Amino acid sequence: MAYDTNPAPSTVYHPAPPGMQIKVAARDLSVTYGDALALDRVQIDIPDRSVTACIGPSGCGKSTFLRCINRMNDTIDTARVRGSIKIDGEEVNDRSIDPVLLRARVGMVFQKPNPFPKTIFENVAYGPRIHGLAANKDELAAIVETSLTKAGLWKEVADRLHQPGTSLSGGQQQRLVIARAIAVNPEVILMDEPCSALDPIATARIEELIDELRENYALIIVTHSMAQAARVSQMTAFFHLGALVEYGPTEEIFTNPRDQRTQDYITGRFG
Amino acid sequence: MVRRYWRRGRPECAGHEWLAAAAPEKIMQITVLVALTLLVLTAFGFLTGRRRALAVRARSGPRLHSLPNYYGYYIALWTGGPALVLLAVYGAFGSGLVNTLAMSQLEREAAPLIAEFERQLDSDSDFIALLEEAAEAETDALEAREAITRARDAGLDPQAFQAALAGHTTRLTEIGARLGQRRADIARTVAARAPSSDAGIRARSGFEFWNSPRERRELFLADARAIAFGEGLASRNTPELRAAALAMRPVEDIFRYSVAALALSMAVGGLAWGRSRIKASFRARNRVETAITGLLMFASVIAILTTLGIVFSLLFESLRFFASIGWRVGDFLFGLQWSPQIAIRADQIGQSGAFGAVPLFAGTALITAIAMTVAVPVGLFSAIYMSEYAGPRVRAVAKPILEVLAGVPTVVYGFFALLTVGPFLRDFALFLGYEDAVTQSALSAGLVMGVMIIPFVSSLSDDVINAVPQSLRDGAYAMGATKSEAIRHVVLPAALPGIVGAVLLGVSRAIGETMIVVMAAGQGANLTANPLESVTTITVQIVTLLTGDQEFDSSKTLAAFALGLVLFVLTLMLNIIALRVVQRFRERYE
Repeated sequence: MAYDTNPAPSTVYHPAPPGMQIKVAARDLSVTYGDALALDRVQIDIPDRSVTACIGPSGCGKSTFLRCINRMNDTIDTARVRGSIKIDGEEVNDRSIDPVLLRARVGMVFQKPNPFPKTIFENVAYGPRIHGLAANKDELAAIVETSLTKAGLWKEVADRLHQPGTSLSGGQQQRLVIARAIAVNPEVILMDEPCSALDPIATARIEELIDELRENYALIIVTHSMAQAARVSQMTAFFHLGALVEYGPTEEIFTNPRDQRTQDYITGRFG
Repeated sequence: MVRRYWRRGRPECAGHEWLAAAAPEKIMQITVLVALTLLVLTAFGFLTGRRRALAVRARSGPRLHSLPNYYGYYIALWTGGPALVLLAVYGAFGSGLVNTLAMSQLEREAAPLIAEFERQLDSDSDFIALLEEAAEAETDALEAREAITRARDAGLDPQAFQAALAGHTTRLTEIGARLGQRRADIARTVAARAPSSDAGIRARSGFEFWNSPRERRELFLADARAIAFGEGLASRNTPELRAAALAMRPVEDIFRYSVAALALSMAVGGLAWGRSRIKASFRARNRVETAITGLLMFASVIAILTTLGIVFSLLFESLRFFASIGWRVGDFLFGLQWSPQIAIRADQIGQSGAFGAVPLFAGTALITAIAMTVAVPVGLFSAIYMSEYAGPRVRAVAKPILEVLAGVPTVVYGFFALLTVGPFLRDFALFLGYEDAVTQSALSAGLVMGVMIIPFVSSLSDDVINAVPQSLRDGAYAMGATKSEAIRHVVLPAALPGIVGAVLLGVSRAIGETMIVVMAAGQGANLTANPLESVTTITVQIVTLLTGDQEFDSSKTLAAFALGLVLFVLTLMLNIIALRVVQRFRERYE
């Protein structure tokens, strides 16, 4: 491929915070869609039990990067992934890894809330069911309750678990989808612009939720809102034209960006 | 030319032979001429409007409201519209009006003949005797009917009474024929008394028309018009018909010319009126929009009215049928025996005719069930394969091939079922030891019909499956679902209402399908659930009842309308349910 002949894009890495545990590590990770290069030799270490925000203008490869982590790119026929991406030192792109099992470990939340056309209960119970996580009905009910509670939705839906998931409001739907994702007890949760279809109040609730989930999971969130990245994340990665430009603790990136492109983007000069 | 036959066509002219050879195409030319003139005027109106609008724009006045073309359309509408409406109305009702006017004139001239005929009829002893006989037979038949009902209620065999009833009915028919004969004889003697002058022939013509029953009147008018204007071929050519034709012509001429004149003056008037309204501030665009809205509304009204017309004709003929079987609607809907043959003579078998439609409903249901057992799995699975698994290249080839099935004429399916599938199934059943196997069976018709319906189910299901948002699939995959889990748990439930809709549409296709069953399912109205026997369906029986030589008001023929009504109601309900289900489908994701 042509891009192999080009020099690898250079990335500015800020010093990692002390005692950082690496959860996800990417090395030389590239993705092409047909002939189009979407991600160019990305190297990144993402910490456990914290929120990592991926920012950058549209088409910069941040969503593509996210979809590499749970191999959702497999569902796109033209996508080709190269390089290495490891979760807890285990190679994700290895043939021995079953993407179906991988996705049980790496949950994902999408831009538009996409509850299944089932009841609220069934939406949350779906993952545990297909992965056989509950031995009986009571266990399943317990998992559903815990997940909904963690997602901060239990109080609102406890008395209408058997109504369709689509009957909820947009913000509630998004929290339902988060509950669905945590019901299978993942290690990593990926969020692809989880608040872009929501109003400010629902957004605030989701952001609170993200902050709470940080206790137990590694979260990686793609966002277009610089303010949101600053509010919820501990680490920030700035992507531009398929390359990882700058990566480091969120404070550092926002207060002391070293690359000109990062500076321009976060001060709103382009993107 | 037109003028010439006017003069020659005067009643004083003795021989009427020339009439058949007259040149009706000259009259046709007037209509064509008017239509052409209208076209030219309309085009001219458009150009005038446009030119005027351009002229207004050239003047440095206020800004022109609409584009110049709209002013053109506006004037064209005023020029062509009302005149065309007038011509259409005349085309629809004009000939009827002419007929009525001409014939009522002839009937007035026939008044002495009519009076004489009625006087003779009242005093004719044969006729009176026949009338009395008819009344007697009627009473006997009524009594026999009551006896049958009583016997049935008492649980006795009503066969003896049925034979008697058949006898009375035959007698009534005979008397009716003789009555008609006598009446015709009297009419002939009365008509013969009229002088063979022109006036006499005119009176005879009016008398013949007056004395004809409704259907004969229509035939009389059609023949007269054929002679007068060359509209089709006349079935007879008698002096009376020629006289009627002669009476029609001047009336028709007056109408034609006045309508033509009126249409043209309306066009010119419309043009002038439209032209006078063009100003810079005139909102031609909005007016044209309104006219277009009206046109669209008119089109939909036509569609609705046609449907209503069909429904009502079905309904009324069905009512006639129910009246003819003595309002035993329950017997029709729930009766177990179907043998619509009605005897013409008393000694024929199955004289009474049994109209229990349950065997037909059962046959229809059996064949539909077999067809759907084939069509639903094959159609649905191929839709799932096409939309979820097949690559774009496979899809591009396979989908059109599948849809070719929908283009195969059903008659081709029919002989495929009759000549290939039927014998194969029969031989196979014989091989398995089933001795009664026949070629025309519910199974062969159902299987082939199922193949016919596959593309309906698969194409519609494919559409609804494709309409399921990708985000739902992504959600399932992101939860760690495999492809088939995602399809079974998420995609299909989301698409289910649409799929149900597709299946219901397929079912209503199957119920209404005729050709395959006519050819492959046999004719026997067996009440059976055995797919290897031959059955018959609602549609097949409609075909059987209405084809061939039939009188059009026997209960046998009318039964077809009742069956049609049932069929219509069935498919209508299925379609409504299908539409409802599909509508709900749209609200599902959000």
